[in-house]
Amino acid sequence: MNLGLRIVIIVVLQTAALLVMVGMKQYTLSTGAPIVLKTEPIDPRSLFSGDYVRLNYSISRLPLDKLAGDREFVRGDTIYVSLRREGEYWQALSLNHALPMVAEGQIVIKGRVEFINQRAFPRPGALAEPGKSIDVKYGVENYYVPEGEGRALERPKPGEAVSIRLVVDRNGNAAIKAVLVNGVERYVERLF
Amino acid sequence: MGNKKFLARLAKELPDWVARGWVQAGTERAILGHVAAQRSGTPLLTYAFSILGVLLFGSGIITYFAANWGEIPKLIKLAILFGSMWLVYGAAWHALRNNHAPLLGQALLLLGAVLFGANIMLIAQVYHIDSHFPNGVLLWSLGALVGAYLVRSQPMLVIAIVLGWLWTTLESEFFASRNHAHWPFLLLWAGFLPVIYQHRFRAGLHLAMVALLWWSVYVFGMYGLIGDTGSRLYLVQFYFLAYLSVFLIGMLFATFGQLADFAHTVQRYGIFAALVNAYALTSPSMQSGQWGHLWGEKTVRAVADSGYVAITFTALAVMVGLALWHTRRTGGGARPVYLKWGEALIGALTLLILANLFLAGVSGGWVAIAFNLLFFAGMLWLIYAGMHSDNRFLVNLAFVFFGLTLLTRYFDTFWTLLNRSYFFMLGGLLLIAGGYVLERKRRQITASIGARHEEGSA
Repeated sequence: MNLGLRIVIIVVLQTAALLVMVGMKQYTLSTGAPIVLKTEPIDPRSLFSGDYVRLNYSISRLPLDKLAGDREFVRGDTIYVSLRREGEYWQALSLNHALPMVAEGQIVIKGRVEFINQRAFPRPGALAEPGKSIDVKYGVENYYVPEGEGRALERPKPGEAVSIRLVVDRNGNAAIKAVLVNGVERYVERLF
Repeated sequence: MGNKKFLARLAKELPDWVARGWVQAGTERAILGHVAAQRSGTPLLTYAFSILGVLLFGSGIITYFAANWGEIPKLIKLAILFGSMWLVYGAAWHALRNNHAPLLGQALLLLGAVLFGANIMLIAQVYHIDSHFPNGVLLWSLGALVGAYLVRSQPMLVIAIVLGWLWTTLESEFFASRNHAHWPFLLLWAGFLPVIYQHRFRAGLHLAMVALLWWSVYVFGMYGLIGDTGSRLYLVQFYFLAYLSVFLIGMLFATFGQLADFAHTVQRYGIFAALVNAYALTSPSMQSGQWGHLWGEKTVRAVADSGYVAITFTALAVMVGLALWHTRRTGGGARPVYLKWGEALIGALTLLILANLFLAGVSGGWVAIAFNLLFFAGMLWLIYAGMHSDNRFLVNLAFVFFGLTLLTRYFDTFWTLLNRSYFFMLGGLLLIAGGYVLERKRRQITASIGARHEEGSA
């Protein structure tokens, strides 16, 4: 095999790997169903990539006793969380190890169990209660913003509420579609 | 051999060759001049500067786009990311074809691999991807590994190994489940070996061995953090047998023409790691289970669980299999008596390790004494074996471990028994006297090996 062909194979393989990354997100963005989640952003700064906002959702910490479905999870497990709309935001309803049948009016989002807490936390900042809870990541916890704008989302003005519109595809994969402040789009992700 | 060394050796030998009539008188000067004019190997400084330049340039590209990222449309961003990578690989092809500029070509290949990694990070940023981030590092490592294999690039292999190392560190540090070692690293590590073999990458082999040792240390640090009593002791026992097997693999390599180049390196890392673990086994604290206290384990030893029993017996079976294979390959005829002594020592140590799996309670102290006796006997044997096989590395290693273990036992034994001032005074005197004697003996032995080498080559 000559050198040119070998280098072409490297380029094709590396490009294909990157295109898979792009394609998976594009698929979710173009086919996913929208949901809105309440969030409390925190803002660490990325060394290489300007600012990014770290997003903590209302479904990031789930009390096992208060939700239906499977109960036994260990760190690193894949988890499917069924969500139902309650008012403006979507809330967790049940937890499963495998993708469940999706009922009318529900959406299932896929995540990964990060931690098992021996206490439950009814809401962010509240005191711990008896019972187990799990911390879950859905792969949509980072949102990159232009340099210097992370602070505005981290510390919204009095009366401002930050929420995130996600899209979730039929496999449970999620992508961020828009950042909303008081329900109005502040940043919107377009396909290209 | 470096050019300077070769030149000095040639200048020393030439008069003798002229006297024997092998070389025509009067041509020595011309021969030496011709050799001196030839450049030896790779111009390292040029190579180092090319690589450093590439790394700096790559970092500059990443930070430039990072700073101006927000204003660029998504499609243009993707075009920049893919286009720059394709351009760099194209330039590498241009530099490498017909051996046009091989050093620049290798540097550009490395830049291509760096850009591939930068693209993974930047695409993750463009699409706000926040999945399991060590996967990105793994993907980067695999991309560089494929490149190293296809275009015979040692810099790409080096970056692949370093990234593999980073991958297992991130997995162990941030995502390790308790009682679970990060075994997938071994799969990636095995992927480095065909590339090292195919292209005879010696530096790559060193780095791969270091990465394997690093992983072992990480597993030691992470494995059995909860309640798994005595787990670290049994893990160290397993490591001892496993690395002794690595040493035997190195011995086997020496009997295969294609693998002989790698034999010494594999042997050295194998025996070094095996001795580190044997040294750890001589510690009374480890044998009695007190070490576990430092790691949140129970302080009283328990019998090994079935998992440790299984991996210990498996390692033993592999070791015996390799030893038998080596004996078959080397003819298995008359063997020096010292080798039989060595086999007896390893046999005794192995029996002790197996028995140790089933001991519990406070028996640790007595087991430690047995391990110490065998360890010191083993070091003396290693010095003898090193002398017989003209292996200075073995001799030096055995002296270092002999001295280190002696010093450790002195601390273990007398720290609580002696008044502190006496402890330090006596320790200082022993260190000075013992160090002098050991160093003198070591020099004598290595010098005699050196002299034998000289005679052999003359």
